[in-house]
Amino acid sequence: MKRIETIRPIMDTKLLSDKTIGLKGLPEPLKAEIDGEQVGLTGTLKTSVLKLFLLLTLLIAGWSQSDAWAQRFPIKGEVVDEGNSSLSDVTVQVKGQTFATSTDSEGQFTIEAEGESVILIFSSIGFAPQEVVVEKEKSSDPVIVRLTPEQTALDDVVVVAFGEQKRTEVVGAMTTIKPSELRVPSSNLTTALAGRVSGVIAYQRSGEPGADNAEFFIRGVNTFGYKVDPLILIDNLEVSTAEFARLTTEDIASFSIMKDATATALYGARGANGVIIVKTKEGKEGSSNISFRVENSLSAPTKNLELADPITYMMLHNEAVATRDPLGVRPYSRDKIANTVLGSNSVVYPNTDWQKEILKTYTFNQKAHLNISGGGKVAQYYVAGSFTQDNGMLKVDGNNNFNNNIDLKTYQLRSNTNIHITPTSEVIVRLSGIFDDYTGPMNGGSGVYNNVMQTNPVLFPAYYPKDEEHAHIEHTMFGNYEDGNYLNPYAEMVRGYKDYSRSTMNASIEFKQNLDFLTEGLSLTAMGSTSRYSFFDVSRFYNPFYYQLVPGSYDRKTGVYSIDVVNPLSGTEYLSYNEGQKEVSSVFHFQSILNYNHTFFEKHNLGGLLVFLMRNNLQGNAGSLQTSLPYRNSGLSGRLTYSYDNRYSAEFNFGYNGSERFHESKRFGFFPSAGVAWTVSNEKFWNPDSKISKMKLRATYGIVGNDQIGSPADRFFFLSEVNMNDATRGEVFGEDGAYSRNGVSISRYDNREITWETSKKLNLGLELGLLNNKIDILADYFTEYRSNILMTRANIPTTMGLSAASRANVGEASSHGVDISVDVNHYFSSELWLTARGNFTYATSQYEVYEEPVYPNSYSSRVGQPLTQTWGYIAERLFIDDAEVANAPAQNFGSRPAMAGDIKYADVNGDGQITTLDRVPIGYPTTPEIVYGFGASSGYRRIDFSLFFQGSARSSFWINQSATAPFIGTSSGTIRQNQLLKAYADDHWSEENRNSYALWPRLDYQANSNNQETSTWFMRNGSFLRLKQAEFGYTLPVTLVNRVRIKNVRFFVNGTNLWLWSPFKLWDIEQAGRGLDYPVQRVYNVGIQVSL
Amino acid sequence: MRYLTIIFGVVLSLFSSCNKYLDVVPDNIATIDMAFRMRVTAEQYLFTCYSYLPNFSHVASNPALYGADESWRYDNSYPGVQIARGSQSIVQPILDRWSGYTSASMSAATTGSLEGTVSTTSLWRGIRDCNIFMENIDLVKDMDQSEKDRWIAEVKVLKAFYHFYLLRMYGPIPLIRENLPISSGVDEVQVAREPFDDCVDYIVQLLDEAAAEENLPITIEDRTTELGRITKSITLSIKALVLVTAASPLFNGNVDYEGFVDKNGLTLFNTVYDPEKWSRAAVACKDAIDLCHTAGHKLYTYSLDARSSQVSTDTYYKMNIRGSVTARENPEVIWPDVGRSTTTLQRESQARLDAGTANASTVSRGMAPTLKMAESFYTINGVPITEDKTWDYAGRYSLRVATDAERNYIQPNYTTASLHYDREPRFYGSLAFDGSVWFGQGNFTESAPWYVMAKLGQYSGGASANRYSVTGYWPKKLVNPASTYAASVAYVVVQYHWPIIRLADLYLLYAEALNELDGPGEEAYHYINLVREKAGLATLQESWENYSTDPGKYLSQAGLRQIIHQERTIELAFEGHRFWDLRRWKRAMDELNKPVYGWDVSQRETDLYYRIRELYRQEFRTRDYLWPLRELDVIVNENLVQNPGW
Repeated sequence: MKRIETIRPIMDTKLLSDKTIGLKGLPEPLKAEIDGEQVGLTGTLKTSVLKLFLLLTLLIAGWSQSDAWAQRFPIKGEVVDEGNSSLSDVTVQVKGQTFATSTDSEGQFTIEAEGESVILIFSSIGFAPQEVVVEKEKSSDPVIVRLTPEQTALDDVVVVAFGEQKRTEVVGAMTTIKPSELRVPSSNLTTALAGRVSGVIAYQRSGEPGADNAEFFIRGVNTFGYKVDPLILIDNLEVSTAEFARLTTEDIASFSIMKDATATALYGARGANGVIIVKTKEGKEGSSNISFRVENSLSAPTKNLELADPITYMMLHNEAVATRDPLGVRPYSRDKIANTVLGSNSVVYPNTDWQKEILKTYTFNQKAHLNISGGGKVAQYYVAGSFTQDNGMLKVDGNNNFNNNIDLKTYQLRSNTNIHITPTSEVIVRLSGIFDDYTGPMNGGSGVYNNVMQTNPVLFPAYYPKDEEHAHIEHTMFGNYEDGNYLNPYAEMVRGYKDYSRSTMNASIEFKQNLDFLTEGLSLTAMGSTSRYSFFDVSRFYNPFYYQLVPGSYDRKTGVYSIDVVNPLSGTEYLSYNEGQKEVSSVFHFQSILNYNHTFFEKHNLGGLLVFLMRNNLQGNAGSLQTSLPYRNSGLSGRLTYSYDNRYSAEFNFGYNGSERFHESKRFGFFPSAGVAWTVSNEKFWNPDSKISKMKLRATYGIVGNDQIGSPADRFFFLSEVNMNDATRGEVFGEDGAYSRNGVSISRYDNREITWETSKKLNLGLELGLLNNKIDILADYFTEYRSNILMTRANIPTTMGLSAASRANVGEASSHGVDISVDVNHYFSSELWLTARGNFTYATSQYEVYEEPVYPNSYSSRVGQPLTQTWGYIAERLFIDDAEVANAPAQNFGSRPAMAGDIKYADVNGDGQITTLDRVPIGYPTTPEIVYGFGASSGYRRIDFSLFFQGSARSSFWINQSATAPFIGTSSGTIRQNQLLKAYADDHWSEENRNSYALWPRLDYQANSNNQETSTWFMRNGSFLRLKQAEFGYTLPVTLVNRVRIKNVRFFVNGTNLWLWSPFKLWDIEQAGRGLDYPVQRVYNVGIQVSL
Repeated sequence: MRYLTIIFGVVLSLFSSCNKYLDVVPDNIATIDMAFRMRVTAEQYLFTCYSYLPNFSHVASNPALYGADESWRYDNSYPGVQIARGSQSIVQPILDRWSGYTSASMSAATTGSLEGTVSTTSLWRGIRDCNIFMENIDLVKDMDQSEKDRWIAEVKVLKAFYHFYLLRMYGPIPLIRENLPISSGVDEVQVAREPFDDCVDYIVQLLDEAAAEENLPITIEDRTTELGRITKSITLSIKALVLVTAASPLFNGNVDYEGFVDKNGLTLFNTVYDPEKWSRAAVACKDAIDLCHTAGHKLYTYSLDARSSQVSTDTYYKMNIRGSVTARENPEVIWPDVGRSTTTLQRESQARLDAGTANASTVSRGMAPTLKMAESFYTINGVPITEDKTWDYAGRYSLRVATDAERNYIQPNYTTASLHYDREPRFYGSLAFDGSVWFGQGNFTESAPWYVMAKLGQYSGGASANRYSVTGYWPKKLVNPASTYAASVAYVVVQYHWPIIRLADLYLLYAEALNELDGPGEEAYHYINLVREKAGLATLQESWENYSTDPGKYLSQAGLRQIIHQERTIELAFEGHRFWDLRRWKRAMDELNKPVYGWDVSQRETDLYYRIRELYRQEFRTRDYLWPLRELDVIVNENLVQNPGW
């Protein structure tokens, strides 16, 4: 690891270099004043002021101490990591002198030194300290220093629950990753998790702006309660996934994931599913720094659905009716088909490509981020703002003066201020706000996509051209059919728009008091914070006027036709409006931490931590009395650590938590955990030159609790939930129904026995550094056993007449898996470097105890099967002919008997009929058991390049038969008819093509219950590998940019979801069964990053 | 260290307040006890007990409207149609009142806003609520004992009726005499089915207890607020129905159920015929009829009101049958369903009646009486078309042009099938067909009535793929003559109180019981003739003697049985009775194993239209007499046995 120094002359600094001055000679108060002066000024301005001030000082005081002053000169520079990313908070010291500073958020620093030649020491956590010699003569050139990761990382400090620990002392399983790893060209942080963080299972199902959160689980799904996702804490404050998703990576100082029992124990009740801890940046003492980043990206679906052409649609729709119901009326006449083929009058014989009418092929999104940080001795600040704009893929009607496309703007503001009120006490104030402003179609982007996929292409055009008769009409003449009850997706899209506004405001104040005066190593931290959330939406819309072709009005010879309005009474030209949801909530959080950390006799390190916390969450529109009551948690937890000589460490943690959901007698739970670690490579017998340069073993075991069981609406298990005014259980009497009373219903029976779900977790970890730590390997094996999982009692027959399920803590489930990460760093030369990283997570689970009826066959039982396992029928093939249907075991699904070409299911239990008892576990679980990612970054001089692949394996999904079944309608209100996917048109069973293994069974014009059953027929393997991200960056030479007083400029181009390897071709496989929804996006991104 | 102690002290004191902090539940959270603190809330609980009554007038809720051979439909979206097409299965029992399971295809059919939503609720839940009510009603302070007694009687009747409803569907059932606590062990809750006769006895016992309660009124005095509540008349009528059902061949000595035992070997069905059951049924019927008469119930006859001018006797008799179902002031209805909307049913049944509303989507939504039903009605001489000496049975499908004399039934000079001529008034009152007159729909003049024009391209015909009659008939009887539609979308439905039990039903049940008990007799003839008289027909003695090819038919028990069966089919057509009657008579195997016919409605030309088209071949197996238990129910409750054949 060689240091890199780039020293170039940039400007004439003769004045200062000739007679440079130092502050050393100044009286202390004056020196502080100079430092203080720097607060709040921009970089360039600050430099000028400083220069001016120094000049004045020189003039006034120069005579007396001219010798000392003459030695003093400033040094500027930048610190970057091996990936050319700026490194903030690097301490810069002048060796042998008192001058010290640290780099700002863009890695820039300015320091003063005295003497002809000085040595600068650069040090930062996780990096090897470096010394750089700077000659006074050449000091006008900025110093560029590249730090390399620390070899032995002995003093590396990592963020753990409620504090920090030295890495060698850590016994728990946790992953920390650099925020820069999470930087993706999406405004959604959750999309960056898959494959990048070992131990996280994640996948993204939709690409709709504002609704594109990826689902993620730490070490998989391990319970069958409702809460399966991890606890997320930003600056110790619990936040929702939505808020986490909007966090800007630039604001993140550290990102850690806690996976095992000891790591999460302090969060007690809420840590059972893992914890994500994010800390935002804080200001550092030093000059203020500005940096900004602007990106513009092009976004397009990774894959477009291919639909059959309209002629095929009509032919096959006719076939569907004829083949199922010989008496049925064919929907399209021969005349209509023939004329559509000929392309006759497009109004009379419409042929509408709804995808084309409604969707754009690509869209542009913008993103910008700006932050300023710095501070003096007393106070430091970090202020950041960011803006993102996400646009949807929808077209806009020229007739409207409003924009119905999705336009999601997110503004963020964050301000962290640290104030040192006394040498031993500090106050930190954090304020942040996230504000979403959305304008979009009434039913959201997914709604529009669904509409497109549920509309017949040949019944009517999107709108009729204005003929003479209707020339005076102002409104758009939307197409429709018959009574105007058909869904016109174009009209639905352009008829109005919805605004929503979502605001989250967080304010927190933290007080830290060093209690060294009581006993050395003791400190107290108290934090109070509140978070306010509000949301509302409002839509404005008109009721479209629908027109239809007057039946029989078309004269083929003259080409004359007539159209007429269908809904003259219900259509409107003016806008109406509708107030939508309004949500408000408020969270208050308080915690106090007593921390003790002391080293005795050099080698014995003892630590202790005691945390008290309470949390209150109040919902403004909860919907029912019970959910309107405050949600509360409170608890006491603690940690005791001991380590010896950086070799052995042991830790004990506990959480003692209460939850208001349980009856008094069951309210509190005690959750202890303990672990040990042994850094073998620090033993004397270890050969430090061996190929294994580092080796550490870890083991932890503990119990964690979970009160987020049942469903969120189940507030108080010990209370029954009674609706004393239930309209659905009311009755009406009297002539004309004059006398009515609502009824009484019970939706939950009280149960005082219900209590904590507990989880016993074991973790064994191995950390290896190979080849002088060029290769860093982190591997963890874990097992988990959950018990007391809340379940519905399955042995209560319906004759009991219960109106709600009776439940008990009886379920048990186990899981195990591994997560491994490998990091490789290599420098071929001082200018060419390569880093590669890969990680792999495998997590599987199974039911251990599941209350279920006694099934006659073992395969019906869930015990021993993964938690997200699907049960279904084994599809043998399609029925060859009706004779086979008659002779096969009866499969009476729904209202019509099976026919030739329908799916034939296996009679597993051999009782001569296909019933629920023939369902067996099929496929893999729906949550992938394996998620992995690997990638490499490389740089040569000022060019850097990186690639990142992400994959997932061992999951199954099911093509949604009813959502993709052509011709059928699935919804209410308006008449919907599904489009025909080209793949189905090309490959289906028909009388002519009796292919028993065709992709789609015999066509049907209505929902076919036989083929809708969950079976292996529509089961697909969810494995895939995708080129998730590629990035190319170029940093301008400092010589060039410094002429315009800019510290650093980097241009970059990157792309997300660039390539996909998967055998499934109908749509992007990551959307799994939701193929007809808003598609996952491929994004190309160009940006510029500037530091001033 | 002193400071340290203080800090620990502070932390611990914070913690000690923790338990209080977590106690967020204020007092006065609603619990079930609150329902029985005041009369007002207790009344709500009473209404809750009522709310489990199945929706008798909704096509998606009452299996009997579509489930037999009375009406057909172009598709199978309704559960009743699915039953008629033999789609019943143990995986997803259709309209499963046992488990309350609602199949996906059914909910798809009923979530459409036009159809209204219907849910299948387990009747066991209703029974549990009835028991909760009876356990707790004593706690109410601000109520007179007399009112409590009345309410208890009502709830007993409901509890009995829910048991009966399940009994009729599933055969022997478990009896929930008292609620088991929720915390009961598995052995206790896994109840077994009890023998059929025990079930009947228990139901009758509940009804007798209610009928003996002096505070239960004979009839509703305060009709504006209480019409629809259980009365003594209703109680005795239900008892009559229960006992007739229990005496009928399906449940009385049915050898098909020989050897049907539960898991402990208990025989669930009697397989030896017991005539005493008919005697018990006859007495119950007579008691009910007498009480109903006392209460003022009588057969409905059309009375002229301000809307209409003087009408002909043709229209009068037509309106007698239509009004028996739809009239607002209808003394014939013993048990009206007041709370449920008939909107969906009327939309199903209303034909489009003029060209201006050819596109109306809210009417003619599919209920189509079968040709079999059209042929079931008597001739104008009051005898079956197969027996009438004067009626050309063989030539019934030939075409005939209407004359002015038939103007109150058929449009003059219109050509339609001979089948539609010379039929009894109930035929014209109950059915609409191509060329028929539709009295009402805002038009109460006989001179310029609405006409149905049903061929393809005509306004009543198949305008679109899902709004037409697949047979060429409409059940006009189910449409309130006052309901109107004008604009293309608006259909102004005038509600009526659906007759769950009406007097004609009781008369015919009584006649049936008498005939089964002792054979033909004057008493039986009398009650049949009352019904015929209302329909404008001569007595059955006269009609058969004068017109039938089998004039002595009514004199034999078997002959009179046939006559009564047909009389019930005609008089109660489309009202949801034939479905159950065919089952209890054990005639479903014959009647429901035939093809369903209609006219060739997809034709524009008269001669092509009047061809018979086979719509479906119905298949009914022995097992179909009883509903299947859902497979899961049998798995969960190890003491439950599946019904025979399933």
